[in-house]
Amino acid sequence: MILYTLRRLALIVLLLWVMSVLLFAITQVLPGNVARMILGQFATADAIEAVETRLGLKDPLVVQYGRWFSHILRGDFGQSLIMERPIGPVLAEALGRSAVLAALSFVLVASVGILLGVIAAVRKNRPVDHAVSVFSYLGISVPEFFWGIAFILVFARWLGWLPSGGYSPMGEGFGNWFARLIGPALTLTFTLIAHVSRLTRSSMLETLRSRYVLAARAKGLPERVILFRHALRNALLPTITVLAIDVGWLFGGIVVVETVFAFPGLGRLVAFAIERRDLPLIQATLLVITAIYCLANLAADLLYAALNPRIRYARRTS
Amino acid sequence: MSPPEAPLLEVEDLCVSYATGFGVLRALHGVSFRLMPGEALGLAGESGSGKSTVALALLGLLGPEAAVSARRLRFGGRDLLSRSPEEKRRLRGRAMAIVFQDPFTALNPSIPVGRQVAEPMVFHRGLAESEALAAAIGLLHQVGIRRPEVVARSYPHQLSGGMQQRALIATALAAEPELLILDEPTTALDVTIEAQILDLLESLRRSRRLSILFISHNLGVIHRLCESVCILYAGEVCETGPTKTVFRDPAHPYTRGLLASLPRLAVGDRKRLSPIPGTLPDLEDPPPGCLFHPRCPYGELRCRREAPLFSSPGPQRSVRCWRVGEIGGVSWEEAVGGARPLADEAGGPAAKASPPLVVVRDLRKRYRLGGFWDALRWEKPAGRKFPRPSWAPRFLHALDGVSLAIAPGEVLGLVGESGCGKTTLGRTILRLIDPDDGAIVVDGREIGSAPEREIRPVRRLAQIVFQNPDSSLNPRKTVGEIIARPLERFGLASGAQARRRVGELLEMVRLAPSYASRYPHQLSGGEKQRVGIARALATSPRFLVCDEAVSALDVSVQAAVLNLLEDLRRELGLAFLFITHDLSVVAHLAHRVLVMYRGGICEEGAIAQVLRPPFHPYTEALLSAVPRIDRGRSRIRLREEGAAAEFDGRGCRFQDRCPRILGKVCRTVTPPLLEPAPGHRIHCHHRLETLAALPSPVDAAPPGAIP
Repeated sequence: MILYTLRRLALIVLLLWVMSVLLFAITQVLPGNVARMILGQFATADAIEAVETRLGLKDPLVVQYGRWFSHILRGDFGQSLIMERPIGPVLAEALGRSAVLAALSFVLVASVGILLGVIAAVRKNRPVDHAVSVFSYLGISVPEFFWGIAFILVFARWLGWLPSGGYSPMGEGFGNWFARLIGPALTLTFTLIAHVSRLTRSSMLETLRSRYVLAARAKGLPERVILFRHALRNALLPTITVLAIDVGWLFGGIVVVETVFAFPGLGRLVAFAIERRDLPLIQATLLVITAIYCLANLAADLLYAALNPRIRYARRTS
Repeated sequence: MSPPEAPLLEVEDLCVSYATGFGVLRALHGVSFRLMPGEALGLAGESGSGKSTVALALLGLLGPEAAVSARRLRFGGRDLLSRSPEEKRRLRGRAMAIVFQDPFTALNPSIPVGRQVAEPMVFHRGLAESEALAAAIGLLHQVGIRRPEVVARSYPHQLSGGMQQRALIATALAAEPELLILDEPTTALDVTIEAQILDLLESLRRSRRLSILFISHNLGVIHRLCESVCILYAGEVCETGPTKTVFRDPAHPYTRGLLASLPRLAVGDRKRLSPIPGTLPDLEDPPPGCLFHPRCPYGELRCRREAPLFSSPGPQRSVRCWRVGEIGGVSWEEAVGGARPLADEAGGPAAKASPPLVVVRDLRKRYRLGGFWDALRWEKPAGRKFPRPSWAPRFLHALDGVSLAIAPGEVLGLVGESGCGKTTLGRTILRLIDPDDGAIVVDGREIGSAPEREIRPVRRLAQIVFQNPDSSLNPRKTVGEIIARPLERFGLASGAQARRRVGELLEMVRLAPSYASRYPHQLSGGEKQRVGIARALATSPRFLVCDEAVSALDVSVQAAVLNLLEDLRRELGLAFLFITHDLSVVAHLAHRVLVMYRGGICEEGAIAQVLRPPFHPYTEALLSAVPRIDRGRSRIRLREEGAAAEFDGRGCRFQDRCPRILGKVCRTVTPPLLEPAPGHRIHCHHRLETLAALPSPVDAAPPGAIP
């Protein structure tokens, strides 16, 4: 198990390196001249020349990449061209906020999604089941920005229960902080819940039809033991795989939702960097998102092995 | 004398029906039987007869869509039907427990075995989890599992099939039930393991005074374990009575048909089987009168009009047939048109003059165990400072130097337990699997290492019939398209010509030409297997590999397919490699037999040679393990546990489980080849005289014909 984890971590490092090469290459072929971007449209050729020399933009690409990558290894993501500040602290701050938002959404997606899936499976073809279907499909079939705007319209504009967006640090009161967090979190949850609830429903139904559930019923076990000990644990295996993939979707959604709710997190930083062609910032943010995605998949695989003894133990005992 | 005991279970007029879109499906109709404390009752019948429905109805496990009614359904003197769902749940597992067919699917894959065994004790006897676990270990020990502490901590996939079934039996016994229902408990197991499980059940039954309801399609197994038997047909009881008398002197035509369909494990009994014609009636629209009359050779006018009543042809017996007592003198074989002897050309078709059609020499195939990373090891070589990685995978030798030859028109039987490599051998001979080493010659062409395009002409000559026709027929194609496909692929026929050929092929496997437009799901199991055979015959092959081709079929259907294969062999001069775990089938059909164990051949010879001593200890164990209806019980027991997972190539491959092991020589030296008669070869360290003196589990002459 430990060996497996180490092997996977080594693979992730390799993947991140490949990703860094790709990111660097892509940002090189983007249109636009970095020095002109910094100095503005009316910069003189001499000034541009000077900036390019200062930033080392005239060196061969390999040398530029080596410099950039060795800095990253030391935890230095470089300077943002637009904000003219070191990227590290900016990124850390945005990442912290987004991590809270993503974690809350993820917990909601997982818990509510699995719960809805189980309920729908147990009450198959009853009104509750149909209601769950409609609810989940509604969320996934309309893009995040619509539900974000609808949420603001209903809860901020009409009902006036919540602020329309922005961010307030925890230091200024938990209520304020939470009120600005819940909107984007619920929007993200709503758009992602269909994956989890639909898959849990179908795998739960399959498990409930299995021989070992019939055998558990034949043992005369109470229904709740059958559902949660015998059925759910096995039914969750495919759901876990999808949850890991959903982390990717979550970061896609975060870019949109943070923009709609004016939530100053990683997603907005990515949007800002791309919009303004802030190349070092694009590289840094995307690399961080890749790392998060890899780690989420590793976590899912480890959890999968923990729940599935057939993966945990390869060999027979006797 | 004490007063007569009250029955533990009384079932009278049990009916189960389902409302379907088109009407009512009558799954069970008027089923009645009773079970005394300590009695074992066998519930026999083919698939679709409603055996399992009886079990689920007793347990209250039929879904809400099933309508259950009964005049009387009493367990331990109390009514079952009027109980609330909660009361039924408390009864399940506590007073009546069930063991299901396939142990692997009946165990939860993600819960340790010990906890699964302990559960009934926690929920029915109120034991704490730790106490229950300790008790579960004790139970596992009682059902014959060595090292029960280790097994209790293991997960189901880590256990062998026999151990899984033992664990399930332990689970069923956990709350000390009065009634144990066994639903085909040995059907998924190898015959040697089956014999062990039956031994266990028998001893448990004695020591615990258990009542057993034993559900099986296998009459031999029922004969072994049960003193009375109840034969079901299409949801109705057709005959009940003491097992011995019923099997010796069956009164109902269906019982007679079932017995006549069974291939017998006997030397020189190669007479044609007499299967039951026709198929099960449509239970949504059952025929008037006796349900069996459309298939009954004894029927008369009354049978078509009125449903028969029960009558008693002897003590404790009852039979639902109008003609009881009138048909005694006419055997089933006579009634359906007489049994012709099978034995054709004297001495079998191993026509010495013609060269063999298929020759296999020293065939080898191994599979790597585990993935790439599992084979990687870090070891410090002597004299080196740092450990170095080395890549040394472990292998499973599926085929470990197998040689054989098959003459035109010959049936070569291949028997062995699951995992012995028989399927790999069948597929490798056809180059569906590439061998690692060795020669395969089919019709004079070497195909062992030839590239695919050179094999193509041989592919036309050598075809395969698979075990499971459900998964080997494309569900989206019609029967006609399925059979025409090889014709088109090999450019043998197309268009109208192909359609005509499909009609001929269907006729050859005794199906009406109208079947060409049907889809596989519209066919019964036996019909699907006939389509599988027709597809294999489409290219006019000369050699067929039948991989457990009749194993999934009911006995009456199996008999018909076996007859068909024999007819085809005769008409077309086909040679067969007939792979099966069922020795009776091999004894019935094959001319010569190979006995395989762990990738190698233990014994080979003509069928009459292999069935009689001298034989290999493994052959002896296999033969003695077959449960049969025509003889008593004396068996060789093989060790199940303690056997290594793979054979490491040293000594005899059967050493781990051999009941007649000699000692060190068996573990270190490859056994010599003994040749007691021309063509009969045994690989064993025992002296030939010792093997020749072994008692024969098989009767030399066919048993007295069943009336």
